[in-house]
Amino acid sequence: MTTESTECCKSTESAECCQCSPQCDLGLTCGAWLLRIWLAMRAIQTGVEKYVGMKGSDQPISIDGKVNDYGLTSATNVKEYALNHYHGVPEALMKKFTDEPIMMQMKWALPLYDKILGPALIVLGLTILLGIASRTSYFLLGLLYVSLTWGLILIKEDSGVAWLGIHMIMIVMALMLSKHNRLCVLKKL
Amino acid sequence: MNPPPSSINRREFLAKTAVGAGAGLVLGAPGILRAADASPSKTLNVALIGQGKQGQVLFDAMRNIPGLHFQAVCDIWDYNRNGAVGRVRSLQKHTPKAYSDIEELLATEKDLDAAVIATPDFWHSPHTVKCLEAGLNVYCEKMMSNTIDGARAMVKAMEKSGKLCQIGHQRRSNPRYRFTLDQLINGNKICGQIVNVNGQWNRAVKSSQNIAYKPSLTIKPEILSKYGFKDMHQFMNWRFFRDLSGGAISDLGAHQIDIFNWFLGTVPKSVFATGGNSYFKGREHFDNVMALFDYDTPQGQVRAFYQVLTTTSCGGGYYETFMGTEGSIKISENSASTEIFKEASPAPKDPNDPPPEKPIPLSWDHLVQRGYLGRKAAAPKPAPTGGVVDSRVSAPPEGFTLPGELNKPPHQPHLENFFASVRGEAKLNCDARHAFLSEAPIYWVNPSALSKQPIVFTSEHLDV
Repeated sequence: MTTESTECCKSTESAECCQCSPQCDLGLTCGAWLLRIWLAMRAIQTGVEKYVGMKGSDQPISIDGKVNDYGLTSATNVKEYALNHYHGVPEALMKKFTDEPIMMQMKWALPLYDKILGPALIVLGLTILLGIASRTSYFLLGLLYVSLTWGLILIKEDSGVAWLGIHMIMIVMALMLSKHNRLCVLKKL
Repeated sequence: MNPPPSSINRREFLAKTAVGAGAGLVLGAPGILRAADASPSKTLNVALIGQGKQGQVLFDAMRNIPGLHFQAVCDIWDYNRNGAVGRVRSLQKHTPKAYSDIEELLATEKDLDAAVIATPDFWHSPHTVKCLEAGLNVYCEKMMSNTIDGARAMVKAMEKSGKLCQIGHQRRSNPRYRFTLDQLINGNKICGQIVNVNGQWNRAVKSSQNIAYKPSLTIKPEILSKYGFKDMHQFMNWRFFRDLSGGAISDLGAHQIDIFNWFLGTVPKSVFATGGNSYFKGREHFDNVMALFDYDTPQGQVRAFYQVLTTTSCGGGYYETFMGTEGSIKISENSASTEIFKEASPAPKDPNDPPPEKPIPLSWDHLVQRGYLGRKAAAPKPAPTGGVVDSRVSAPPEGFTLPGELNKPPHQPHLENFFASVRGEAKLNCDARHAFLSEAPIYWVNPSALSKQPIVFTSEHLDV
């Protein structure tokens, strides 16, 4: 499209040609917005979900329409968000990582990564959504996904690697479309 | 203070157990067992006697019971004692007094209301009797004692002192068990006539190993000897020694055979048991025991089978199953093992009548709608086998579930019942007298297995 626009521009020699002006290409701008919203939402909600825990709730059982006298209850688990529920790396994966010989050599790395993963996803998601240093934010989010991919390769979670590969493609597309990204708080970076 | 539990003499006891009509009086919930000298709002001062594994389980179950002050802890092992002090201090921000000897504790602590005893079985009776004589209300772990005479002494001490003595058959306060007995078996009679009972506690070899200890934590030989232990190994593994414990049938089976007797409302007429050391050949007690009990109940004869195997976990762990002509209830403290079955075709009213030509479409839908039962997800139909094995094969029973759960540690309701009774707000669910009536037949399982002979119970076997 860029090539065609350039040729169009050359042939008409009109600086007003809408197709030649990236700022005027509504389709590319919409594409940039969609990618921006998707990647931001993906990062923010993934980060927020790391603060999820289950809160047990016991409801008394009704028998013949009345609360039973025996103390029988029905246990239900309710999802809740709280800082003390935070878990950056899921418990099941944490065990696999700690068993890996490479991670045994870098025992300090996993707890640190566990601490920063959730906040990093939320911060990068917000900066992407608000358009604060979009290209830098996309790049950092890409690096974060690279780190996640490395971890999944380590524990042989191939489907997760493929899934993150799709994310990487979307980030690259977002970077390519970043010049069409409008309504940004800070666009320079 | 209300009067202590009324005594039942030998003749009276036999009369009540021999006829089904009186059985409920013997094993039903006692009606007069509460203390009234403590005001409801009063904080109860509690001594923790024995702080090994089971003592810790009980302490954890008491954490959420309001109005308790753990004033003193007692254990001959400083490792247990110091651990208990730390647990209590972290809970109530106050350091309890620590003792290695119960007599010193009782001589020093004068304002105690209750003692919770979780010492080895052979110390249950001496410790309970001492505490009752010192004016304390007692919660003592089951089995009451390693000997029937020890258990008898506990009943007598309770009745003489006028204090409360609850035995730790915690299922008696479990809402799931109480609901099952009151509403399903007695109220709605979903089992019809109970004809057989089956119970088991099967535990894998790995879970039945000797308990190890750090040599650096070994108790001094003179202290071990003073408290009846030959050495540290025996101290840690007292359950395997005949002079110190009743073995697996007492350690694991007592809870469940108590449920047989409680639910049937009577005690068995006889026991015939077998046992041996199939795997743990060096142990004094059998590593597997199987026992058959015969009952006469108001509904008719019931035969009960109980097995405790410390050599395999096969068969799904621990549960008690009450099998009836209309339905069966398999109940366990582990709710995942609890299941209720309805026979596909109800039994004819008279066993001599011919079976109905067509199954009577009597459902339990009304019980589900009213909340008495939950419906179990239907199991997938088995693939056709290609032929009929027997023309009289029963249709598969329909599955149901209990409608609710216990949302507390399993021992908490029983301890709540005890402390509420001390305050005069409730009645004991398992006082020493009623626990003895239920436990007495269990003391004769090992003798039957050792002699390879059935034992028909008389008053000599079962009376206090």
